[in-house]
Amino acid sequence: MLPFKLPPQILRLVLVAMAIVGSYFAARSFLVPPSFGEYGWYRGDALGEIASRTPVFAGKQACDECHSEILHKLAADKHKTLSCEGCHGVSREHSNNPDVLPVKATGSHCIRCHEANLARPAWLKQIVVKDHYGPKCTECHVPHQPSKTP
Amino acid sequence: MINEVTNLVVEALPQVQGYVYPNEANVHPVWSVLIVIYPYITGLVAGAFIMASLVRVFNVKALAPVYRLSMLTALAFLLCATLPLLCHLGHPERNYEVMMTPHMTSPMAIFGFVYAWYLMAVLLLELWFDFRQDFVRWSKTTPGFQGLIYRVLTLGVTDLSEKSVRLDMKMEWVLSIIGIPSAFLLHGYVGFIFGSIKANPWWGNVLMPIMFILSAIVSGIALCVFNYIVLSWIRRKAVDMRCLDAMAMFLFYALVVDAVIEGLDVFHRGFAAEEGFAVLQTMIREKLFYTLNIGQAGIGTLLPLVMLGSLQLLRKRVPEAARRTMIFFSGAMILFGVLMMRWNVVMGGQFFSKSFRGVMSYKTEFAGQEGWLLAAVIMCLPPIILTVLVKLFLSDSKELQPSEHLPEPSAKT
Repeated sequence: MLPFKLPPQILRLVLVAMAIVGSYFAARSFLVPPSFGEYGWYRGDALGEIASRTPVFAGKQACDECHSEILHKLAADKHKTLSCEGCHGVSREHSNNPDVLPVKATGSHCIRCHEANLARPAWLKQIVVKDHYGPKCTECHVPHQPSKTP
Repeated sequence: MINEVTNLVVEALPQVQGYVYPNEANVHPVWSVLIVIYPYITGLVAGAFIMASLVRVFNVKALAPVYRLSMLTALAFLLCATLPLLCHLGHPERNYEVMMTPHMTSPMAIFGFVYAWYLMAVLLLELWFDFRQDFVRWSKTTPGFQGLIYRVLTLGVTDLSEKSVRLDMKMEWVLSIIGIPSAFLLHGYVGFIFGSIKANPWWGNVLMPIMFILSAIVSGIALCVFNYIVLSWIRRKAVDMRCLDAMAMFLFYALVVDAVIEGLDVFHRGFAAEEGFAVLQTMIREKLFYTLNIGQAGIGTLLPLVMLGSLQLLRKRVPEAARRTMIFFSGAMILFGVLMMRWNVVMGGQFFSKSFRGVMSYKTEFAGQEGWLLAAVIMCLPPIILTVLVKLFLSDSKELQPSEHLPEPSAKT
């Protein structure tokens, strides 16, 4: 076939290289997800999968169904723009079945916004936690009505 | 009006030094300790290979006793070079998809091609041609599973005639010559990935690929020194002092050039004092003080320079045992210093915000996906692979030498 004879070791290497390249393409044919490249350099199905995820947040309207008096208090004060679930945790399941408690959010919810930071606007009330009185914010502050005292 | 605004800016800016505005940065570096060990491992591969090439291409006979050990070191580390990157992916379990869908639109993705070229077309081929004669010999004498490995590795070619052995030699020489630019490409490319990020003053620098290559050569030679002394110690064999002195000499010269280029880079940045220089000063004086000034410059560069430099001057007056110890510790310190250099490069570029004013910090986690435990496990893998390779292919100390490509007397031409 060839006009010259390949030395045996080169011939074997060529065959091994062909086998490697061949198995790579064979592997590609079933390892590349079928919807890959449908819209771009990613799996097309990923869009549907992400869209079909069950939402975990219920939204303020769902809270209003049972806790409207707290929502009224909230709406009258400075925290009116905050979402309930921002502090109380995701609550979709709780809104469907009141026996299931909301998934409690971790960390301190107050200092997430009120810890002093120059990057925050001056109108936002800020404290340096280590210099501020007390371990528990709610001893002196009412989160639903920040202008009131308990 | 202009003067008032200028005065306001001049007064206001120092007041906000160190603060990160919410819209300009991630809270902490996203390139973790895994991305620190990725260029470290790649550099060790390139350096070890370049040192081996001194034997084949530049015919440095004194280094022959470590030729095969350096080549196998390069292989063991290369096999693990992509692991930090693959573990760093959001979904590490899907890492094969990166390899199944290669593309040319991102510098990081092109590294896959550079890596594949270097592993498949250079390192494995050169090793195969160097070991082919031994594979054939061992496949005839070794029984059991180990013999089967050797038989598979011969690829069924048992021809050891003069003509075929001469071809092996020629191929190996050609591959070494292709290998040197390829090794430079492998690690220069890693430097380019950082150096091409022009918005970041710590990274965006044309000297970056060159500094990466030089530090790679230094760390690679240091690793070979380390491995050679440790292997001789484990086997209770005497170290070939001629070889060790030659390695120390090359290590010293490479370290001098590396230190000069890195010093030149600092000098250039200081003299040019471009926009981001103030934050670079903060990095050097505060955030990276220990890893840069003490780790990289002190332990990793100055001390080895003094030790190896004094050995160059006083070699004949220093007893062998002391020389060996000094070279060993210089190598170990350089290995540590280059790891610090990778840390400084990768972390330094992420410690300041996009306005060059905010400063961030990074606390390495322990057991998570980006934790230092995983990084330590990845760093332990190459020595384990190397141990297996040395057991399989360098079981006799004579086999540390490169193949001399002498034909079998009985083989027919």
